[in-house]
Amino acid sequence: MWHTLWFILRSTIISSAPIGYAALGGVFNERSGVANIALEGILLVSSFGYVAGAFFGHSAWWGLFWGIMAGLLLSLIHAVATVTFKINHIVSGVALNTIAIGVTRMLSLVMFGQETQSKTNSYTQIFGINIQWLVALMLFLVIAPLSYWLLFKTSLGLRLRAVGENPEAADSLGINVEKMRYTGILLGGIVTSLGGIALYPTIWQSGISGGRGFIGLASMILGNWMPIRSVLASTIFGFADALRLLDFVQAYIPNEFLTALPYVLVLIVLAGFIGKARPPRADGVPYIRGE
Amino acid sequence: MPGDIILKMENITKRFPGVLANDHINFDLKEKEVHALVGENGAGKSTLMKILYGLYHPDEGTIYIKIDGELKPVKFKNPQDAIRHGIGMVHQHFMLVYGLTTIENIILGYEPSSVIDFDTARKNIEKIMTESGLHVPLDVDVEVLSVGQQQRVEILKVLYRNAKILILDEPTAVLTPQETEELFTIINRLKEQGHSIIFISHKLHEVMEIADRISVMRKGRLVHTMPKSEATKEKIAELMVGHPVLLDVPRPDVTPGDVILEVKDLTVESDTKGVMAVNNVSFHIKAGEIYGIAGVEGNGQAELIEAIYGLRHPKKGQVIIKGEDITGKPTHIIRKKGVSHIPGDRHKFGVFLPFTLADNSILGHHREEKFARYGIFRRFSNISKWAMEIIKKFDVRTPSEKVPMSALSGGNQQKFVVGREISFDHDLMIAAHPTRGVDIGAMEFIYRQLFEEKKQNKAILLVSADLDELLLLSDRIGVMFKGKIIKELDNTNRQVTPKEVGYYMLGGDLESHNGGDTVGGEQIA
Repeated sequence: MWHTLWFILRSTIISSAPIGYAALGGVFNERSGVANIALEGILLVSSFGYVAGAFFGHSAWWGLFWGIMAGLLLSLIHAVATVTFKINHIVSGVALNTIAIGVTRMLSLVMFGQETQSKTNSYTQIFGINIQWLVALMLFLVIAPLSYWLLFKTSLGLRLRAVGENPEAADSLGINVEKMRYTGILLGGIVTSLGGIALYPTIWQSGISGGRGFIGLASMILGNWMPIRSVLASTIFGFADALRLLDFVQAYIPNEFLTALPYVLVLIVLAGFIGKARPPRADGVPYIRGE
Repeated sequence: MPGDIILKMENITKRFPGVLANDHINFDLKEKEVHALVGENGAGKSTLMKILYGLYHPDEGTIYIKIDGELKPVKFKNPQDAIRHGIGMVHQHFMLVYGLTTIENIILGYEPSSVIDFDTARKNIEKIMTESGLHVPLDVDVEVLSVGQQQRVEILKVLYRNAKILILDEPTAVLTPQETEELFTIINRLKEQGHSIIFISHKLHEVMEIADRISVMRKGRLVHTMPKSEATKEKIAELMVGHPVLLDVPRPDVTPGDVILEVKDLTVESDTKGVMAVNNVSFHIKAGEIYGIAGVEGNGQAELIEAIYGLRHPKKGQVIIKGEDITGKPTHIIRKKGVSHIPGDRHKFGVFLPFTLADNSILGHHREEKFARYGIFRRFSNISKWAMEIIKKFDVRTPSEKVPMSALSGGNQQKFVVGREISFDHDLMIAAHPTRGVDIGAMEFIYRQLFEEKKQNKAILLVSADLDELLLLSDRIGVMFKGKIIKELDNTNRQVTPKEVGYYMLGGDLESHNGGDTVGGEQIA
């Protein structure tokens, strides 16, 4: 009994982590006024970055480093496209998601000899703890509260939020809108990369992100763009994800249904909730000075 | 009493492609002084102030600021530089971040430390509030504050940054007369405390009331600076426009005829479901009569017009034009029944900016046989002729009817819209904010046109945020408050005072109130 409960809790935390990190990444992006649907792509490339980095660097630390670098790089492209060149945020996001799929497959072919999956990586421990479990726990214990503190108790957070609500007003007060948006996108990129690392450190497969970036965005909306609430919202989907790992559930409910459950939940939850959520006012709107 | 000069702008010149926005301007400001800067749109006031606030860099000229008792030349790279030298600006369109609280808005960009110490910030702000008399609730989203309160937040923002010199850009444009009076009390108090204020406005009676000195700008040049004792409204207006202006357009004497528009128990739902923007409103307008609707914006005026004009379905009640019930009919039918409309937001409802003047000249009547054969094939020569008639008759300054609307200045666009709506056959003219954003010259012109309409025995429904305009033009004035016309005032002999209207704009005896503080204010705190 206790064993089963612990198993459910642990699976929920692990399954929620990629979604929760993506949700948090979404919060940083959108609070600064940038819509970022490339979170999905960031999960994918950071997951690949971890496996490849750890595999070839013979250390989980290298995995961590390359996982974050991969996510940061993709975020940086989004930042340059949307902030510097004022490209439509969704268009840039779609392009990056496509690029993420192609680039990881190509790199996998070059590095591991096959397109669809990597070789098995055995470097998954940091301080003797499984990195997937460690990173997942960190989300709830450290990263989510820290994000709240950063956004609501520091001047950086205040400025970031101001830029997402009314960039013109922020600009008039001498706040560098572009710098703040870069900050939001890159912070969001780092956080989302942690989600990619928590995805599956042992092996990378094409399509491994499985829409979790988008479910993360749904969690963010459900959490009304608040960091802690968004992370908590992700556990609903994480729990649904964890359910299908249980033997007795599998015995009674067809696997197809269980796999679809998180996505069905997203639809139900958003349909009932979306009118009540209030996105940042300048969310997804490129800022062009002097208009 | 004003003291020494603390700010001097010398020979400031700023060129934009094709325009000399500021032509060798000399401007100064004394300690404890209110220096009014007046001029028409495009006269260069904003450019000059943006230079002072570090948003633009002058091509020529120098700014001097008094530092340690001495005037020293300074260069502002950006607004921060200006703020650091004690200059603060209250923008006409508030620069507030909705979604953040009042306190967050005040400290934004000037936080006491990178981890914000809200307690210290609060103490400082409360001290400033007590000193200046500007009180606002600190822990609510600024979005819920009334316009007057939001302006106070803007002033607090500037004071929090230790500004000595305050630039107030058209601060009264959004205020009721009572709120304006309170603002003036605060300005005087700030003056006593050692602040200096640059007051930008084009409302001449306000300038006469609050300013110590007045500078007038015209076409990029500062034409005259004078102490208030030497100024009169007429003199300022003449300096602004460059020729004498008859601000007091005489009202034609017309005996009202038959009832043209009758509105009966009209109730209209707002965009928020269940909330009635217009609540049981009844009134009528006779031929040759101008009926003005006064009210703080957002009290149902826009919805009332939309319901009459067919843009919004009324919940109940009737709109009757010349005895015919047109409630809920589509707009093009209503236009055919003889209704013309000068929309309040001309860019949203009045014109298509990228279309030519010719195309814009037939909007709403484009199906008529005169402009389109069988209602389909356009008759270009007729359309051009029609557009040219409007352009000539209404003095629209344009190279031809074939240029896009966006090539015209705001005042000329408005003259064109007014001209078009007058030119179509009609008995009822709905004019919403007909002079918004136009300069005094065009304003006078539009007033004359509306009086001309009156002479032609048209019925005119006038909605305006400009009280002076309402009092000047209207025969009767209905004051709207929270969706109801709570008072109808007879203004046949121009006997109504702004104060009287202002009293009802704030709810009159419907709401218990003390001065101008009640609008949205204390109930929230």
